[in-house]
Amino acid sequence: MNTADHTRWSDDLAAYLLGALEPHEAEGLERHLEGCERCQEELRWLTPAVQSLPEAVERQQPPPQLRASLMAEVRADAAPAAAGSDRAGEPTRTRRWFLKPAMGFAVLALLVAGIVGYEVGKDGSGGGASTIVRQVDGITVKMISEDEGGTLQLEGVRQLPSDKVLEAWVEREGKVEAVPALFVPDRHGHAETTIADMSGVETVMVTEEPQGGSETPTGAPIMTMSVPG
Amino acid sequence: MAVKREKAERLADEELMPLVGRQDPEAFEVLYDRHGGAAYSLAYRIVGDRAAAEEVTQEAFISVWRSGARFDSTRGSVRSWLLSVVRNRAIDFLRSRAGRAPKLDFDDDSALEQRPARERTEEEALRRETAAELRGALGKLPGEQSKVIELAYFGGFSHSEIARILGLPMGTVKGRMRLGLEKIRGELAEGLV
Repeated sequence: MNTADHTRWSDDLAAYLLGALEPHEAEGLERHLEGCERCQEELRWLTPAVQSLPEAVERQQPPPQLRASLMAEVRADAAPAAAGSDRAGEPTRTRRWFLKPAMGFAVLALLVAGIVGYEVGKDGSGGGASTIVRQVDGITVKMISEDEGGTLQLEGVRQLPSDKVLEAWVEREGKVEAVPALFVPDRHGHAETTIADMSGVETVMVTEEPQGGSETPTGAPIMTMSVPG
Repeated sequence: MAVKREKAERLADEELMPLVGRQDPEAFEVLYDRHGGAAYSLAYRIVGDRAAAEEVTQEAFISVWRSGARFDSTRGSVRSWLLSVVRNRAIDFLRSRAGRAPKLDFDDDSALEQRPARERTEEEALRRETAAELRGALGKLPGEQSKVIELAYFGGFSHSEIARILGLPMGTVKGRMRLGLEKIRGELAEGLV
């Protein structure tokens, strides 16, 4: 390759890195790059200069609702996979029977202690993990506690309007605290959130709240469950 | 099983990406907390209004969430990759909103002072210092060089469009881009960052 040819392509490298070449020019340069070590070297040298440009932008504070709405979408995405793998690993007859939505609440209430004992004993993950399953206000609630935290899984949650999210609350020493991560049910009515600190929690509650969540509960509870000490 | 938040916080970005690829919300949340501010700032710099910046940032992060496995660690850092995703989304947004002129100023110190104290961690302070120095490096470029770089990177204009806007030959535009980037690169090589 002669020097003039190399120089011609070399002049395009900065424009290429800045995304300023036309598509056919970019393709031509990419073909040239495959066989030109000098251009590859120059490209590697210049790349950090372009990567530094976004770092030079004046910092703005993202609105809090951006994080809340993003995480609600992410958790809604993740929930079906998590629920699917969970069910695949433990398709017990007792559990399926217990999760039947048509089961009368009074009968279920009589069975809770036995089922809880079974579930706790059934949990084979070790490390102090325990699971509580209850039917509360027409929703099947599964509370998985592990170390100091826990995961709250709900089944049978109705679909929410687009401007609403679910927010979990814990009551500890008589005070109500919001659980930071907001969440929404997937199309199967499964919803899930993580409670980072379960120590001393006496009651868990979930309410419908406006997008972005609330500092104190404003919606009617969709479920309230006491947590054994 | 999702990793716990505390564990995810101890992982490097490159270690978080495989977890994000396996749809781990905790890993993703940590990634957002580390880079969401820079991503939103970049989106705002390009699209010029807060609602649109929010939309662009959310779309970019959701695309990362759904395609986390596509990150290739041999081609740069997670942060650079993520910001390039945001930049591409923002430019697409600009192009879809025909007739909108790009925002060209670099300085808005008042916005920096409005940030809450809790964000002013040591790492953040270093980034801000670096950003200020980089703004200095860009500011030190001759106006003719910084302008073509801004129009290309933050405005999404091709070199031929820039040539038309500025009334310059295309070769001159490419030459100024190259000179400008070489100077910024020289500053970086001198230990600026």
